[in-house]
Amino acid sequence: MLTDKVLDNLPFSIRRRLEPYIEAVQVMTETSNPKVLRAMAPSGVRGLILQRGKQGVPTKMPSHHQTHFDWTYPNDQPEMRDLYTRAKEQQWNGEDLPWHIDVDPENPEVPIIPPEFMSYDELRGMGIKLTELEKHRLNASVGAWMLSQFLHGEQGALFAAAQVTEAVQFFDGKLYGSTQVVDEGRHVEVFHRYLDTKLNKLYQINDNLFVIIDALIQDSRWDLKFLGMQIMVEGLALGAFGTLYQMTKEPLLKELLKKVIQDEARHVHYGVIALRDHFQNELSESEQREREDWAFEVALLMRNRFLSYEVYEEWFEHKITRKQWAHMVSHSPGFEIFRQVMFQRLVPNLREIGLLSDRIKPHYERVGLMQYFDGRSADHLSGDELIAELDAA
Amino acid sequence: MLLDRTRGKTPAPLIEKLPSPTPLDEVDPLVLLPRRLADRVRTAHRDVAMLGGRLIFGKTPAPLIERPQRAPGAVVSLARKAPHMTRTVEVVDVVRETADAVSIYLTEEDGSPIEFKPGQFLSVDVTVDGQTLRRAYSLASACLPGVPVHITVKRMPDGRVSNRLNDTIKTGDTLSVLGPSGNFTIEPRSLNERHFVMLAGGSGITPIMSLLETVLHHEKRSKVTLIYGNRGWDDIIFRERLARLSERLGERLVIDHVLEKPPTGWSGGEGLLSDDVLLERLDALGIEDDGMLRYFICGPTPMMEAAHEVLNRRGVDAARIAEERFTHPEDRHAGLGSAKTELVVISKGGSDHGVQVAPGQTILEAALAAGLDMPFSCAMGGCGACRVRQRSGDIQVEEPNCLSRSEKEQGYVLTCVGRPLAQSRIEVEGS
Repeated sequence: MLTDKVLDNLPFSIRRRLEPYIEAVQVMTETSNPKVLRAMAPSGVRGLILQRGKQGVPTKMPSHHQTHFDWTYPNDQPEMRDLYTRAKEQQWNGEDLPWHIDVDPENPEVPIIPPEFMSYDELRGMGIKLTELEKHRLNASVGAWMLSQFLHGEQGALFAAAQVTEAVQFFDGKLYGSTQVVDEGRHVEVFHRYLDTKLNKLYQINDNLFVIIDALIQDSRWDLKFLGMQIMVEGLALGAFGTLYQMTKEPLLKELLKKVIQDEARHVHYGVIALRDHFQNELSESEQREREDWAFEVALLMRNRFLSYEVYEEWFEHKITRKQWAHMVSHSPGFEIFRQVMFQRLVPNLREIGLLSDRIKPHYERVGLMQYFDGRSADHLSGDELIAELDAA
Repeated sequence: MLLDRTRGKTPAPLIEKLPSPTPLDEVDPLVLLPRRLADRVRTAHRDVAMLGGRLIFGKTPAPLIERPQRAPGAVVSLARKAPHMTRTVEVVDVVRETADAVSIYLTEEDGSPIEFKPGQFLSVDVTVDGQTLRRAYSLASACLPGVPVHITVKRMPDGRVSNRLNDTIKTGDTLSVLGPSGNFTIEPRSLNERHFVMLAGGSGITPIMSLLETVLHHEKRSKVTLIYGNRGWDDIIFRERLARLSERLGERLVIDHVLEKPPTGWSGGEGLLSDDVLLERLDALGIEDDGMLRYFICGPTPMMEAAHEVLNRRGVDAARIAEERFTHPEDRHAGLGSAKTELVVISKGGSDHGVQVAPGQTILEAALAAGLDMPFSCAMGGCGACRVRQRSGDIQVEEPNCLSRSEKEQGYVLTCVGRPLAQSRIEVEGS
């Protein structure tokens, strides 16, 4: 690409300054649907260009949704009522996790993520030779980075769940939504406690994750909030948690993730049943097209850009280019598995809510995501089944 | 007001003093704007600062969110904890030297003797009230095979570590130590015939004792003149040991005790080791500087300054004077460095390593925690083993330390007591 050639010819210090912005422009220009671009561009500017999530002050995001009251209290969605009952029965207390376990993130015997997660050979090819201790530390950093992003995502989910509970028009959905707000609060609590007291390290929010949260919190359309949070973020989180659950040897984190995954399975299930009928019956063709494209763009953003740049900035910014890092991370064994499991969960849910029409399928095919098309969607998969599947894998 | 009046209360006749108005130049002009507009201006200001910082100054926002320092006793992960630099040594004997000084005999944990050079010191970590305090104590024994190795600790007024050790240390205990460290030493050679003048004040005798015993053992034709200042006769550390040594070595060891409060009938030197007293004692002992004498001085700061003054007046070249300074910990200017995590790039052996230094952490701690093989010894700014050259940035180094003025001017810093104030680059020379 032309920009790559220009970048390659720039002095390292100049390149380092420009690279994130050129990448941001690339992300935005790659969006083909103008409505999606219009909806996402302000969030893109705030997240990728102005880096509002990293300015060191609380971020204030206005919300534009309507709160939907119903004074007749209808029993309108039995499947949601059932989820509500299950959610009440399955509440757990974050205090009960085995917090007494002493966590040493650098202990190679009990790694947070497996030693072969990153591609050290490729790093060596770039002139970076790490000692064994440095490798353990880098792995611990990547683990802390992933968990930090989970935490930031959970904060987004907490507020989005509250907004969705206000905006949704199903009364049973509102009751269920109240449990999800509690769930997300608990997730924030346990992830934060783990990072704070066990890893004592917290990374800034990834700019791309900020863009997604910013876009869906500020969007006035309830179904887009639902799609963004319940299907995309929660779905991808479910995949990410599952991957980490499988990979980690750290017993406290494993137990924590097991509990969180069981909650998340309900959350995605709720998203699927709330959106399925709405997308198939209530939306015009162009509205449906816009949501399809939005979901595809967000999926791509998560797949291509969620590359632990904050770890790069911490460790290697003075040594290699952002592009080199992105290449290394994209091809590292851990991230490949990570992406695979994430989309294995996401794609069947998109199919189930009707956002994988014949029009969009070739796009998913092109980026290699159609292989997950026939998987089981969240409404056919309980938390226990998910854990059993992960344990068996 | 009306109710107060009916109760017979009258309003105060004088207007209470109102708080003085905030000076105009301290008023944030944005408070004059409607709140929403002021918020927008602030946001725009932050946006521009973020964009400008990155594009113009190449400043990446910190990848990590600053964590508050954890309270003692809280779980702290090893991710940011410095690796164990210290090792454990065994206390095999404790001997009281004076009412205020105790010798602690040590071996390595496996029972083997501690290897050191005469005049060197150990950095000793002692936990008092939950706080780990590091102090330097000289190895005061002769550096000879079969001679038990000990440090000697004199009780300091309000000294938390020296008092703790004097009061509680016992055989069978262990200590966490670093080192031995220090360049206040002699390389004895049997063929040498040298005259050393050693000036010691109070506990400054500890490295001097090791030096003189070792050098006089190996160099059979060398001699030592020791001028040793103390408060009173009973305060003299190693008094009997020195007397026995002097008896055995005859003229090769001349000891001149100078007492601030001498006993009745005292015929030796009197007073503090000031420049006048030192000059008088050197004259009284017939010390003529022939350009070959070597001087070793260790003691309280006023005594050290007086010794330098006197030797300078006598025309002694500074290169022939060796000194050991132990600062009083309470006099140290700590300095916590930056309030946020800073990147320090360490050039070592032809490659660069980026190390994140957390607030309060020293560069050495962060580098060791990152797995870098860094040179260090005493870890308290006393030996210079961790000296590196600062190439860019801003590094705060605890004072006082062992760096000379010229080393500081050349941009040398000590990683063990150095903390970055901004993103910095250092070079480990000779690696």
